[in-house]
Amino acid sequence: MGLTIIGHEAATGVLRDIYDRMLERPLPAVYRPAHGRAPGIIQAHSLDPELIGKVFGTSSTLNGAGPLSWPERELVNALTSRLNQCFY
Amino acid sequence: MHDAATTSRMRGLAELVTIVTEAPWTLSRTHRDRSHEAGLGDEDILHAIMLSSYFGHLNRIADVVAVPLDYQVQVEPPHADPSVEPWPTAPGPVVGRLAIELERRPTTANALAAWRSHAFERNAPLTRRQRHVIARWVALWLGDGGISRPDDLTANPLDDDLRILAEQVTLAPWKLDDRSFDRLRASGFDDAALFDACVVASTAGVLSRITVALTALGRERS
Repeated sequence: MGLTIIGHEAATGVLRDIYDRMLERPLPAVYRPAHGRAPGIIQAHSLDPELIGKVFGTSSTLNGAGPLSWPERELVNALTSRLNQCFY
Repeated sequence: MHDAATTSRMRGLAELVTIVTEAPWTLSRTHRDRSHEAGLGDEDILHAIMLSSYFGHLNRIADVVAVPLDYQVQVEPPHADPSVEPWPTAPGPVVGRLAIELERRPTTANALAAWRSHAFERNAPLTRRQRHVIARWVALWLGDGGISRPDDLTANPLDDDLRILAEQVTLAPWKLDDRSFDRLRASGFDDAALFDACVVASTAGVLSRITVALTALGRERS
Protein backbone atom coordinates (compact mmCIF):
# COMPACT_ATOMS: atom_id res chain seq x y z
CA MET A 1 0.00 0.00 0.00
CA GLY A 2 1.11 3.54 -0.69
CA LEU A 3 3.62 4.83 -3.23
CA THR A 4 6.91 3.00 -3.80
CA ILE A 5 9.67 3.03 -1.19
CA ILE A 6 13.12 2.10 -2.53
CA GLY A 7 14.70 0.45 0.50
CA HIS A 8 18.29 0.79 1.63
CA GLU A 9 19.43 -2.57 0.21
CA ALA A 10 17.73 -1.95 -3.13
CA ALA A 11 19.07 1.60 -3.47
CA THR A 12 21.84 2.36 -5.94
CA GLY A 13 23.77 5.40 -7.09
CA VAL A 14 22.84 8.77 -5.66
CA LEU A 15 20.08 7.39 -3.43
CA ARG A 16 22.39 4.77 -1.90
CA ASP A 17 25.02 7.42 -1.21
CA ILE A 18 22.44 9.62 0.47
CA TYR A 19 21.18 6.76 2.66
CA ASP A 20 24.75 5.93 3.67
CA ARG A 21 25.51 9.57 4.42
CA MET A 22 22.33 9.89 6.48
CA LEU A 23 23.55 7.05 8.69
CA GLU A 24 26.65 9.09 9.49
CA ARG A 25 24.62 12.02 10.81
CA PRO A 26 25.12 12.75 14.49
CA LEU A 27 21.93 11.38 16.03
CA PRO A 28 21.07 10.51 19.63
CA ALA A 29 21.10 6.72 20.03
CA VAL A 30 17.38 6.69 20.75
CA TYR A 31 16.66 7.90 17.21
CA ARG A 32 18.79 5.19 15.55
CA PRO A 33 16.61 2.34 14.25
CA ALA A 34 17.62 -1.13 15.45
CA HIS A 35 17.51 -2.38 11.85
CA GLY A 36 20.69 -0.41 11.17
CA ARG A 37 19.48 1.07 7.90
CA ALA A 38 18.43 4.61 7.07
CA PRO A 39 15.35 5.53 9.13
CA GLY A 40 12.02 4.78 7.47
CA ILE A 41 11.03 8.43 7.22
CA ILE A 42 14.15 9.12 5.14
CA GLN A 43 13.44 6.08 2.93
CA ALA A 44 9.88 7.44 2.57
CA HIS A 45 11.41 10.19 0.40
CA SER A 46 13.24 7.72 -1.90
CA LEU A 47 11.39 8.73 -5.07
CA ASP A 48 13.04 12.17 -4.93
CA PRO A 49 16.60 11.72 -3.64
CA GLU A 50 17.48 15.39 -4.00
CA LEU A 51 14.58 16.32 -1.74
CA ILE A 52 16.06 14.28 1.13
CA GLY A 53 18.83 16.80 1.73
CA LYS A 54 16.39 19.70 1.65
CA VAL A 55 13.91 18.16 4.08
CA PHE A 56 16.37 16.75 6.57
CA GLY A 57 18.58 19.82 6.28
CA THR A 58 15.55 21.73 7.53
CA SER A 59 15.04 19.12 10.24
CA SER A 60 18.57 19.66 11.54
CA THR A 61 17.91 23.36 12.03
CA LEU A 62 14.71 22.64 13.99
CA ASN A 63 15.32 19.38 15.85
CA GLY A 64 18.99 19.92 16.59
CA ALA A 65 18.73 23.35 18.21
CA GLY A 66 16.72 25.42 20.69
CA PRO A 67 15.30 27.50 22.10
CA LEU A 68 12.71 24.76 22.73
CA SER A 69 14.21 21.97 24.82
CA TRP A 70 14.41 18.39 23.55
CA PRO A 71 11.31 17.31 25.57
CA GLU A 72 9.43 20.36 24.28
CA ARG A 73 10.38 19.54 20.68
CA GLU A 74 9.20 15.97 21.20
CA LEU A 75 5.89 17.29 22.52
CA VAL A 76 5.44 19.48 19.42
CA ASN A 77 6.27 16.58 17.08
CA ALA A 78 4.19 13.95 18.87
CA LEU A 79 1.15 16.20 19.22
CA THR A 80 1.33 17.23 15.56
CA SER A 81 1.42 13.54 14.57
CA ARG A 82 -1.50 12.71 16.82
CA LEU A 83 -3.64 15.55 15.46
CA ASN A 84 -2.80 14.47 11.92
CA GLN A 85 -3.74 10.89 12.93
CA CYS A 86 -0.33 9.70 11.80
CA PHE A 87 1.53 6.68 13.20
CA TYR A 88 4.88 8.25 12.55
CA MET B 1 11.87 18.52 35.81
CA HIS B 2 8.11 18.86 35.96
CA ASP B 3 7.99 22.11 37.86
CA ALA B 4 5.19 24.61 37.42
CA ALA B 5 7.07 26.67 34.82
CA THR B 6 7.74 23.59 32.68
CA THR B 7 4.12 22.49 32.85
CA SER B 8 2.95 25.97 31.91
CA ARG B 9 5.24 26.06 28.86
CA MET B 10 4.15 22.57 27.81
CA ARG B 11 0.48 23.54 28.03
CA GLY B 12 1.15 26.71 26.05
CA LEU B 13 2.95 24.72 23.36
CA ALA B 14 0.14 22.18 23.17
CA GLU B 15 -2.43 24.92 22.61
CA LEU B 16 -0.31 26.63 19.98
CA VAL B 17 0.52 23.42 18.09
CA THR B 18 -3.11 22.31 18.06
CA ILE B 19 -4.24 25.53 16.39
CA VAL B 20 -1.28 25.65 13.99
CA THR B 21 -2.11 22.11 12.85
CA GLU B 22 -5.88 22.43 12.62
CA ALA B 23 -6.70 26.04 11.68
CA PRO B 24 -3.68 28.39 11.74
CA TRP B 25 -5.73 31.35 10.44
CA THR B 26 -7.67 31.46 13.73
CA LEU B 27 -4.59 32.55 15.70
CA SER B 28 -4.53 36.14 16.93
CA ARG B 29 -2.60 38.51 19.15
CA THR B 30 -4.47 36.97 22.08
CA HIS B 31 -2.68 33.67 21.46
CA ARG B 32 0.66 35.43 21.35
CA ASP B 33 -0.12 37.10 24.68
CA ARG B 34 -1.31 33.81 26.18
CA SER B 35 1.88 32.11 25.01
CA HIS B 36 3.95 34.84 26.65
CA GLU B 37 1.98 34.39 29.88
CA ALA B 38 2.73 30.66 29.67
CA GLY B 39 6.44 31.47 29.67
CA LEU B 40 7.03 31.18 25.92
CA GLY B 41 8.97 33.97 24.24
CA ASP B 42 8.67 34.97 20.59
CA GLU B 43 11.68 32.78 19.73
CA ASP B 44 9.93 29.79 21.33
CA ILE B 45 6.70 30.56 19.43
CA LEU B 46 8.59 30.82 16.14
CA HIS B 47 10.39 27.54 16.83
CA ALA B 48 7.13 25.75 17.70
CA ILE B 49 5.27 27.01 14.62
CA MET B 50 8.11 26.07 12.25
CA LEU B 51 8.70 22.69 13.90
CA SER B 52 5.03 21.70 13.95
CA SER B 53 4.55 22.80 10.34
CA TYR B 54 7.67 20.87 9.35
CA PHE B 55 6.55 17.74 11.18
CA GLY B 56 3.21 17.93 9.41
CA HIS B 57 5.19 17.31 6.20
CA LEU B 58 6.73 14.14 7.64
CA ASN B 59 3.25 12.96 8.66
CA ARG B 60 1.92 13.50 5.16
CA ILE B 61 4.83 11.80 3.40
CA ALA B 62 4.62 8.89 5.86
CA ASP B 63 0.96 8.50 4.87
CA VAL B 64 1.67 8.86 1.13
CA VAL B 65 4.06 5.89 1.13
CA ALA B 66 2.49 4.06 4.12
CA VAL B 67 5.88 3.96 5.85
CA PRO B 68 6.39 1.05 8.28
CA LEU B 69 7.50 1.82 11.83
CA ASP B 70 11.25 1.50 12.46
CA TYR B 71 10.92 -0.06 15.88
CA GLN B 72 8.91 -2.42 18.04
CA VAL B 73 6.26 -0.75 20.14
CA GLN B 74 4.83 -1.98 23.40
CA VAL B 75 1.56 -0.18 22.93
CA GLU B 76 0.00 -0.30 19.48
CA PRO B 77 -0.61 3.27 18.27
CA PRO B 78 -4.25 4.14 17.59
CA HIS B 79 -5.25 3.45 14.00
CA ALA B 80 -6.20 6.37 11.83
CA ASP B 81 -9.94 6.77 11.49
CA PRO B 82 -10.62 7.60 7.82
CA SER B 83 -14.15 8.71 8.69
CA VAL B 84 -12.84 11.77 10.56
CA GLU B 85 -13.82 14.90 8.62
CA PRO B 86 -11.12 16.96 6.87
CA TRP B 87 -9.78 20.07 8.58
CA PRO B 88 -11.83 23.19 7.82
CA THR B 89 -10.57 25.76 5.30
CA ALA B 90 -9.86 29.43 5.91
CA PRO B 91 -12.80 31.76 5.28
CA GLY B 92 -10.49 34.28 3.62
CA PRO B 93 -6.87 35.32 3.28
CA VAL B 94 -4.85 36.40 6.31
CA VAL B 95 -3.02 39.54 5.25
CA GLY B 96 -0.55 41.76 7.01
CA ARG B 97 2.98 41.68 8.31
CA LEU B 98 4.43 38.67 10.06
CA ALA B 99 4.17 39.19 13.82
CA ILE B 100 7.51 37.39 14.20
CA GLU B 101 9.97 37.58 11.32
CA LEU B 102 11.40 34.37 9.82
CA GLU B 103 14.83 36.00 9.83
CA ARG B 104 14.95 35.59 13.59
CA ARG B 105 15.71 31.95 12.76
CA PRO B 106 17.99 32.42 9.74
CA THR B 107 19.31 28.85 9.42
CA THR B 108 15.76 27.48 9.21
CA ALA B 109 14.63 30.28 6.87
CA ASN B 110 17.54 29.47 4.52
CA ALA B 111 16.84 25.72 4.65
CA LEU B 112 13.17 26.33 3.84
CA ALA B 113 14.15 28.59 0.93
CA ALA B 114 16.30 25.81 -0.57
CA TRP B 115 13.47 23.33 -0.09
CA ARG B 116 11.00 25.74 -1.68
CA SER B 117 13.23 26.14 -4.76
CA HIS B 118 13.50 22.39 -5.19
CA ALA B 119 9.74 21.93 -4.91
CA PHE B 120 8.60 24.77 -7.16
CA GLU B 121 11.35 25.59 -9.65
CA ARG B 122 11.57 22.42 -11.74
CA ASN B 123 9.78 21.19 -14.83
CA ALA B 124 9.69 17.44 -14.14
CA PRO B 125 7.97 15.22 -13.22
CA LEU B 126 5.29 17.91 -12.70
CA THR B 127 5.42 21.03 -14.84
CA ARG B 128 6.21 24.31 -13.17
CA ARG B 129 2.66 25.42 -13.89
CA GLN B 130 1.19 22.37 -12.18
CA ARG B 131 3.37 23.10 -9.14
CA HIS B 132 1.99 26.62 -8.96
CA VAL B 133 -1.59 25.46 -9.40
CA ILE B 134 -1.18 23.14 -6.40
CA ALA B 135 0.59 25.77 -4.27
CA ARG B 136 -2.12 28.31 -4.94
CA TRP B 137 -4.89 25.93 -3.93
CA VAL B 138 -3.06 25.03 -0.73
CA ALA B 139 -2.54 28.73 0.02
CA LEU B 140 -6.25 29.34 -0.49
CA TRP B 141 -7.29 26.53 1.88
CA LEU B 142 -4.88 27.67 4.60
CA GLY B 143 -5.63 31.40 4.25
CA ASP B 144 -2.22 32.41 2.89
CA GLY B 145 -2.85 35.90 1.53
CA GLY B 146 0.62 36.12 0.01
CA ILE B 147 -0.36 33.99 -2.98
CA SER B 148 -3.07 34.93 -5.48
CA ARG B 149 -6.28 32.93 -5.73
CA PRO B 150 -6.23 30.13 -8.31
CA ASP B 151 -9.48 31.26 -9.99
CA ASP B 152 -7.74 32.74 -13.01
CA LEU B 153 -6.10 29.46 -13.95
CA THR B 154 -7.66 27.55 -16.80
CA ALA B 155 -9.15 24.48 -15.24
CA ASN B 156 -8.73 21.19 -17.05
CA PRO B 157 -9.45 17.64 -15.85
CA LEU B 158 -5.82 17.02 -14.90
CA ASP B 159 -5.69 20.21 -12.79
CA ASP B 160 -8.86 19.03 -11.07
CA ASP B 161 -7.31 15.67 -10.23
CA LEU B 162 -4.18 17.39 -8.90
CA ARG B 163 -6.37 19.65 -6.77
CA ILE B 164 -8.29 16.69 -5.36
CA LEU B 165 -5.07 14.89 -4.37
CA ALA B 166 -3.58 18.09 -2.93
CA GLU B 167 -6.75 18.68 -0.94
CA GLN B 168 -6.48 15.27 0.71
CA VAL B 169 -2.77 15.71 1.41
CA THR B 170 -3.43 19.12 2.97
CA LEU B 171 -6.73 18.72 4.79
CA ALA B 172 -7.18 15.00 5.47
CA PRO B 173 -3.89 13.10 5.15
CA TRP B 174 -5.36 10.27 7.25
CA LYS B 175 -7.69 9.48 4.35
CA LEU B 176 -4.82 8.82 1.90
CA ASP B 177 -4.89 5.33 0.46
CA ASP B 178 -4.24 3.69 -2.90
CA ARG B 179 -7.53 5.01 -4.26
CA SER B 180 -6.21 8.54 -3.76
CA PHE B 181 -3.89 7.98 -6.72
CA ASP B 182 -6.24 6.16 -9.12
CA ARG B 183 -7.37 9.11 -11.20
CA LEU B 184 -3.89 10.52 -11.80
CA ARG B 185 -2.53 7.02 -12.47
CA ALA B 186 -5.21 6.65 -15.15
CA SER B 187 -3.83 9.86 -16.71
CA GLY B 188 -0.37 8.30 -16.91
CA PHE B 189 1.19 9.50 -13.65
CA ASP B 190 3.78 7.02 -12.34
CA ASP B 191 4.83 6.80 -8.69
CA ALA B 192 7.56 9.42 -9.09
CA ALA B 193 5.08 11.92 -10.55
CA LEU B 194 2.47 11.13 -7.89
CA PHE B 195 5.09 11.55 -5.18
CA ASP B 196 6.11 14.87 -6.72
CA ALA B 197 2.50 16.08 -6.60
CA CYS B 198 2.21 15.09 -2.93
CA VAL B 199 5.53 16.75 -2.09
CA VAL B 200 4.50 19.98 -3.80
CA ALA B 201 1.24 20.02 -1.83
CA SER B 202 2.98 19.17 1.43
CA THR B 203 5.75 21.71 0.91
CA ALA B 204 3.22 24.41 0.03
CA GLY B 205 1.42 23.43 3.23
CA VAL B 206 4.54 23.85 5.36
CA LEU B 207 5.31 27.26 3.90
CA SER B 208 1.75 28.60 3.91
CA ARG B 209 1.06 27.27 7.40
CA ILE B 210 4.10 29.07 8.80
CA THR B 211 3.24 32.30 6.97
CA VAL B 212 -0.42 32.23 8.01
CA ALA B 213 0.29 31.38 11.66
CA LEU B 214 2.93 34.11 12.02
CA THR B 215 0.75 36.69 10.28
CA ALA B 216 -2.41 35.78 12.20
CA LEU B 217 -0.56 36.17 15.52
CA GLY B 218 -0.32 39.91 14.83
CA ARG B 219 -4.04 40.45 14.29
CA GLU B 220 -6.39 41.64 16.99
CA ARG B 221 -8.59 38.61 16.54
CA SER B 222 -9.65 36.22 13.82
